Amino acid sequence: MTAILSAEHVGKVFQTGRGNSVTAIQDLSFQVTDGEFVCILGASGCGKSTLLNMFAGFTQPTTGTVRLRGEPITRIEPRCGMVFQSYALFPWKTVRANVEFGLKMQGVARAERAGRAARFIDMVKLSGFENHYPAELSGGMQQRVTLARSLAADPQVLLMDEPFAALDAMTRQVMQEELLRIQAESRKTVLFITHSIDEALILSRRIIVLSARPGRVKAILDNDLPTPRHVDIQLSPEYAALKAHVWSLVAEEIRQHDEADRANQT
Amino acid sequence: MPNRAPWLLLISILSVAAMLTLWTVATGRGWVAPIFFPAPQAVWKEATVILANGQLWTDVWMSSRRVFAGFVLAAAVAVPLGIAMGVWVPAKAMMDPFVSLLRPLPSITWIPLTMLWLGIGEEQKTAIVFMGSWIYILLYTVESTKRVDPLLIRAARNLGAGDIAVMREVVLPGALPGIIAGLKVTLAISWSCVLSAEMIAAQNGLGALIWQAKDYGNLALVLVGMVCISLTVLLTDFLANRLEILLLPWERHRRH
Repeated sequence: MTAILSAEHVGKVFQTGRGNSVTAIQDLSFQVTDGEFVCILGASGCGKSTLLNMFAGFTQPTTGTVRLRGEPITRIEPRCGMVFQSYALFPWKTVRANVEFGLKMQGVARAERAGRAARFIDMVKLSGFENHYPAELSGGMQQRVTLARSLAADPQVLLMDEPFAALDAMTRQVMQEELLRIQAESRKTVLFITHSIDEALILSRRIIVLSARPGRVKAILDNDLPTPRHVDIQLSPEYAALKAHVWSLVAEEIRQHDEADRANQT
Repeated sequence: MPNRAPWLLLISILSVAAMLTLWTVATGRGWVAPIFFPAPQAVWKEATVILANGQLWTDVWMSSRRVFAGFVLAAAVAVPLGIAMGVWVPAKAMMDPFVSLLRPLPSITWIPLTMLWLGIGEEQKTAIVFMGSWIYILLYTVESTKRVDPLLIRAARNLGAGDIAVMREVVLPGALPGIIAGLKVTLAISWSCVLSAEMIAAQNGLGALIWQAKDYGNLALVLVGMVCISLTVLLTDFLANRLEILLLPWERHRRH
């Protein structure tokens, strides 16, 4: 198995003005193999989003390297498609035009664009809404459009930055199942960021637990829960055991971070 | 339209009727001297006279033409310049001092210079409208361009867009609602520019109509001119709103 994405001793320091700096990520290394679904789990402020932004090429690491198929990522990388938490749909484009956007940028002819867009609109179950504008859709539907837009551009990796965090709990569960189905259908490599242990357990094959700031790899766990998975997997004893294990890792981090915060305040 | 419920519309109609009645009674009973405020019948008579001889239509047409010429010219200069200033900081740095100096000047302060350069013909009226309008269009355009959501630009680049595509597909449509809002506000300003220019030196136009009527002591005609200006600007605004809805289909649901 070859790595499609890798982080090698990645560190990121942000200058906060007046010579102060914050270390968001420190000496972080891991690999993602082709077709894998990996969740990165961590508390807020552990540099999860920064990490994803580095894979997309939006920001550069201060130290170390991020690579796509062995090549360092040094500029915005369309082969790593980003699914944003706040959807980032173009409000002036219809659902179809949004989904076609990546293909248009690749110079795909109009007729072919329409056909390919229709396929992905169908995959996210939005047929019939092609001519709607994003603001006419619910949050869950908008997130489906974002997903279809990313998939239609046919990236090698999908980077998902807490994509369901803004959705209500029930829509979120539906979207999780949909994502599992879509990933099985499209066989895309997914690097998915979340702060929800349940979400990580339901979706991923592997969970990378990050430590609190500065973000480092705390543990990498294989998630061997049976597939295809549904939300009701949460009722199984294996799930409970794994969840307890992950929680113990996360809780330790939160406690340490909390104590450090309190020490800083006094 | 602000009044949607029928009973609210009724209130509006009643308040206008009450106002007209009060006007008629106040002038009819002699509470107000006709030299200070003419009766509605007098205003109506003046209106029918200049409607019949075609003078009113000529004035409306001439003023509208001047507004249109100056406004379109101002938009043609200020919108591209504003977009350039919004996306390219050096352009903004270059223009900012001039914008700061020119902005506080009301358009009528340009009347002496424009008369010297262009005489008192159509070009001078157009120039006054232009000078009074372009800075507002510019400021709105710069602001709307700068406010385009950077996340959308990021998303576009992530989907493979280069600089030109980002400009065409994201920055321009993203700034368009703000630019159009600015154009609408400026259109009303353009109207006030042309009226002041016409009051100072013009043979025709609604501004000249009012000013000449004042010189003849015909206050009823002054009021006809004022009402006519109101109606013309309202009509322009209405047309601008229709055009806006056509140009911004994705904004239509936000209006309801």
